[in-house]
Amino acid sequence: MAFEVTQILLNAQSSDGAVRRTAEENLKQFQEQNFPVFLLSLAHELANNEKPPESRKLAGLILKNSLDAKDASRKAELAQAWISLDNALKSQIKGALLMTLSSPVKDASHTAAQVIAKVAAIELPLREWPDLVGSLLSNMGTPQAQKPPGLKQATLETLGYVCEEISPEVLAQEQVNSILTAVVQGMNTSETNNDVRLAATRALYNALDFAQNNFDNEMERDYIMRVVCEATLSPDVKIRQAAFECLVSISSTYYSKLSPYMGDLFTITSKAVREDEEGVALQALEFWSSICDEEIEAQEEYGAEFSEDSEVPYFKFIKQALPALVPLLLETLTKQEENQDQEEGAWNLSMAGGTCLGLVARTVGDDIVPLVMPYVQENIAKPDWKFREAATYAFGSILEGPSLEQLTPLVQVAFNFMLNAMKDQNTHVKDTTAWTLRRIFEFLHGPNVDVPVVNQNNLSVIVEVLSEGIKDVPNVAEKICGAIYFLAQGYEGTSEPSSPLSPYIQGIIQMLLASADREDANESRLRTSAYETLNEVVRCSTEDTAPVIMQLLPAILQKLNSTLDMPVLSSEDREKQNELQASLCGVLQVIIQKLSALEITKFGILQCADQMMALLLRVFSCRNATVHEEAMLSIGALAYATGPEFAKYMQEFYKYLEMGLQNFEEYQVCAVTVGVVGDLCRSLDDKILPYCDGIMTQLLKDLSSSHLHRSVKPPIFSCFGDIALAIGENFEKYLAYAMPMLQTAAEVSAQGGGDDDELIDYYNQLRNGILEAYSGIMQGFKNTKAELMVQYASHILQFIESICDDPHRDDAVTKSAVGVLGDLADTLGSHVAILFRNSSSYQGFLQECQASDDQQLKETADWALAIISRIVSQ
Amino acid sequence: MLNPVDHSPASRRDQFKAAVGNVAGERRRKQAIIIGKERRDAVVRAKRMRRADDNDEGMMYDEPFSDKIINEETVRAVQELKFLFSSSSKDSSQKKIEALRKLRRLLSCSSNPPVASAVEAGVVPILVKCLEFGSSDEQLVEAAWSLTNIASGDSELTLAILPALPLLIAHLGERSAAPVAEQCAWAVGNVAGEGEQARDLLSSQGALLPLAKLLLLNKPMLVKTAAWALSNIIKGPSSKAAVELFKVDGLSEAIIRHLTKGDEELVVEIAWVVVYITSLAESQTKLLIKSGLLPPLVAWLSSSESLSLLTPVLRSVGNLVAGDNSNTDALLDAAKDLPGGLFGCLVRCLGSEHRTLQKEAAWTVSNIVAGSLQHKQLVFGSRVVPTLLHLLATSTFDVRKEAAFALGNLSVMPAGESQLPQPIMEHLSMLVERGCLPGFINLVKSPDLEASRLGLQFLELVLRGLPNGQGSKLVEKEEGLAALEVLEYHDNDDLRSMANELIDKYYGEDYGLEEEYGPGIAEVVRGGEEYPSWRKGWVVNS
Repeated sequence: MAFEVTQILLNAQSSDGAVRRTAEENLKQFQEQNFPVFLLSLAHELANNEKPPESRKLAGLILKNSLDAKDASRKAELAQAWISLDNALKSQIKGALLMTLSSPVKDASHTAAQVIAKVAAIELPLREWPDLVGSLLSNMGTPQAQKPPGLKQATLETLGYVCEEISPEVLAQEQVNSILTAVVQGMNTSETNNDVRLAATRALYNALDFAQNNFDNEMERDYIMRVVCEATLSPDVKIRQAAFECLVSISSTYYSKLSPYMGDLFTITSKAVREDEEGVALQALEFWSSICDEEIEAQEEYGAEFSEDSEVPYFKFIKQALPALVPLLLETLTKQEENQDQEEGAWNLSMAGGTCLGLVARTVGDDIVPLVMPYVQENIAKPDWKFREAATYAFGSILEGPSLEQLTPLVQVAFNFMLNAMKDQNTHVKDTTAWTLRRIFEFLHGPNVDVPVVNQNNLSVIVEVLSEGIKDVPNVAEKICGAIYFLAQGYEGTSEPSSPLSPYIQGIIQMLLASADREDANESRLRTSAYETLNEVVRCSTEDTAPVIMQLLPAILQKLNSTLDMPVLSSEDREKQNELQASLCGVLQVIIQKLSALEITKFGILQCADQMMALLLRVFSCRNATVHEEAMLSIGALAYATGPEFAKYMQEFYKYLEMGLQNFEEYQVCAVTVGVVGDLCRSLDDKILPYCDGIMTQLLKDLSSSHLHRSVKPPIFSCFGDIALAIGENFEKYLAYAMPMLQTAAEVSAQGGGDDDELIDYYNQLRNGILEAYSGIMQGFKNTKAELMVQYASHILQFIESICDDPHRDDAVTKSAVGVLGDLADTLGSHVAILFRNSSSYQGFLQECQASDDQQLKETADWALAIISRIVSQ
Repeated sequence: MLNPVDHSPASRRDQFKAAVGNVAGERRRKQAIIIGKERRDAVVRAKRMRRADDNDEGMMYDEPFSDKIINEETVRAVQELKFLFSSSSKDSSQKKIEALRKLRRLLSCSSNPPVASAVEAGVVPILVKCLEFGSSDEQLVEAAWSLTNIASGDSELTLAILPALPLLIAHLGERSAAPVAEQCAWAVGNVAGEGEQARDLLSSQGALLPLAKLLLLNKPMLVKTAAWALSNIIKGPSSKAAVELFKVDGLSEAIIRHLTKGDEELVVEIAWVVVYITSLAESQTKLLIKSGLLPPLVAWLSSSESLSLLTPVLRSVGNLVAGDNSNTDALLDAAKDLPGGLFGCLVRCLGSEHRTLQKEAAWTVSNIVAGSLQHKQLVFGSRVVPTLLHLLATSTFDVRKEAAFALGNLSVMPAGESQLPQPIMEHLSMLVERGCLPGFINLVKSPDLEASRLGLQFLELVLRGLPNGQGSKLVEKEEGLAALEVLEYHDNDDLRSMANELIDKYYGEDYGLEEEYGPGIAEVVRGGEEYPSWRKGWVVNS
């Protein structure tokens, strides 16, 4: 019943556009009209050795794409479509796929391996296709009955892909054991065919997650580690690289099992770093970076108090390897390539080595300083720029990790040298020097530093050096922006009306605007960094420079206005326009926030409000997600500044608000817009009422959509609360829609996230959103429509009780839950007295919160308990 | 693969001299969310902790508060006042006002204000002192406000402020500032709400005339409060107060003016004043009509959607038509240009979604059709009849009963010399034809004596009135005979004898025997705060 599809598949790859389009159209029609036969025809094409490789490969790819997609909801649809196919048909297709593995045509067998993995991803979790693993393993043959290498290679690929697709618990332990046995045998030196060895090594990479039990068993672990280490010595570079990739993966998955092997691993990796080809050497360095990641995380996990019986394993491998490891890393630093700083995506030995050195410094702290400083001193003034750059990079790399006591004297001495080094002839050196200055400001400047590197005496010199540096090539200028960013941030949060940076603010703003305006500002992300730095400078500025910020406002508005008239002839033009608009809206947001915080400067914002709003509305009409997101944030800030006056803009603005709420695809836009609805509620109060029907409809649609990213849902619930607070009793008409959504979400969140940290975090956000909604609704109804909530009271109380009992609840949820308890009693009074009398858990929970160090939580708990006791005792 | 760590060169490369722009933008956007969240928390917190009224700077109780604490604070506030107003104190008036304001805020606590503690602590004498002549307006307002709050409590607390009444009434006068007069009117209104005795006391202390004079002003808030207080005082049952009002010159005109031009809330309060006047004082009602009461009244009846406004307006119209037949004529005339005329307005109320309006409208119609033959005929030709029939068949019991009264009155001639009411044949046969009989038979079966009697009287009319013995057949067919038979053993003597007589007369062996029964039916007292207990027409006076 299969159809002949060869010609269409070939046509679909034709160089003639018309032919190609017709073929694609035919394929699409075929797929829509008879999906089962379509799939079967493709499988037959793939399996048929008499067909041309091109049509077979494409048949396989289309099959693969009919089983899987990136988008989660599309993926689920495709899986469902496959599941509902006739079983006999599915068997035919699967049979054809397995048969293809033995094809001498690599394209065909390789594609078949991928398709099998996609089918397995759907079927194995449903306990279907039980004989898959068995039939794959039988392809591997025995010493007595050898199978062709091509089949073994394709089979190992298949096993690797299957492991990549499914999670470990899907397979039974004996299946895992036989897969690992087959894979490790394929890697063994006794396997003479290099293609088979390579396929086996790559398969092991994917199968490592399945090997928990095997790594627990010392004998099996030793065997696996031996085979992997042997493979790092293979004459074939691809096998060596694949073997190091396995070691990297083992270093994070089985960190706790590594102790016995560390000596050998150091020997193997250092040899590779020094002698092997770059691809292999980079993986060898990555092994150490990955160990650093594990140890940094372990230290963060238990903070300062490390004890031997700590649950998180921490073996101080880096500290032990330090005397040998640091010299190895320093060696790599002089292996720079010319122009590596200008090339996006460049990655070489010196970059990887320097990055690893920075991680090592964070892992061991002070211990690294005496090992690195002699290298710095010896090389920082050498004639060869490679040594000067390497020394600077080494110095910059160790600025995070060691204590301030260790670093401060060093930096005090080196600081002037660094400022001078900005005059180096070599751009590469200047780039790294500027980056080092940024790190000095980031870690050694600010209110927490006792002996600040920056002081009244050198500030003017610093600003001068920065103002010269920012004129350099874009990659250097970008690093200077970073330096200014942290220089400004170091002065944040003083309650003083003036900052030491105040005299320079005007000049700094000018230089940042000038770099953003540079012709070459799109290189090295200079423009974005310049504007974000400007934002930080504005944000951290003090009262005395408010007039300067006030002057900045019209300049930014003028720039934003001129983007609207930019000639847009190409997609690059469009991109540039969008990037610029997004950045300028960002600046606008920060200026509005800053100026509206002070009564004396707020009027400046209010005066320009009409103009700003007109401009932002025009910006909205250029359709781009990032621009919308940023413009929304400006609107939010503006609404706070204007308060209820914002109502006059609502009619025109509303359609963009709605557009934002409808933007499922670019969910960040949707999320930001939901936040702005909250801002508007707080600014407009009941003047938002005329728009609430539309907004609520949209929010409810968002919630019921399976396409919207889940992270937007908690803020939508909070937004219900914002709306209810703003419109009070008028929320009544939405209640019948909102409450079931809230109740369902409450049930979902009560399931708990198990061990999945991400899920636990999400459920906490969800609960917080739900609780904020309940608070808002109850307070909105409090004086006039409280009785509407009576029917939901017991559900709400149960929900909170489930939260009280959950050890995973976070502080925000706790605080919100306490509030809702009080709101229940405050709003519903005697209606809920009986519920509280019959509830046991709330009291302990509230008393626990009363003992909290968090003053606000304590107050809220006091309030809630007082109000509940009053209604209970009545 | 499920390895959680990304070891790709790309992810590691992102760490290499990372551009500041990316992280900074992310941080800035997160900051915006945090700001929103902080503001939300602030709003919610303020709402939770707020206890005083919205216009004040807000009374924030940072500590846990409970009744006990509030009560203690109240006692302290009273003691402070006592000290400040003692002769030895030299404190400034500003300080006194602040202390008064503090007390007033405590007494304004939304739930469960500490009024009792304040009275117990002796607050009333001090407040009376604060009301003395020559006090500042601010002080007067604050004192009167506290008294208002005390008077809104239980009845013994209301009575506690009686010593303050003379001064409160004194400050109602035309020389007081509007806020002072308004607050005093409010306090007086609260006392009047307490009951008949309190109302008499207020009248005897002379509260009526100053309040009535306030109605002459053009200050909506003040007039509204005064009208509310006034309506509380003139409620009756004695008509004395309602009559005495009219000693104020220009009162009728002022009432009509507010009724015509006032905002909705003001019209509501004025309309309640009109309700009590039309219900209690006939000649004063005539005066109001002469001044132009009817056009605004029917205009509101025809156009308003507000239940709180329609209720007093419809009640007033009902009171009017229950009086002199000429009132009905005047109303018909006043409404002649409105859609559907007076009956159009009434049909609107009969068809309202509010049961109380349906019921009052039916009561009003029943009083109209208890009037002249001409009125009966006018109603009969209007859309009122199908609406009433519909209500009789489908509505709740109390509405059905009122509809039945109206339909019953519609079916009989105006009361004449004859002791038995005479049917209007055209009306009766038409109503029966349109299926009203089951509705009345249902009433016969009702446990409510009045309803049951009404049903019986209508059956009697049908049995007697319809020619050729049609009546007895129809009644039997609709299971009316069965309903009568049940009543043969009823506890109530009247009902039992009426039912027996009907069965004997129309279904029994003694067919044709004329016997007298009926008009001497005891007056039925209707309960509740509803329209007046009397009605015109058939049942009471036929």
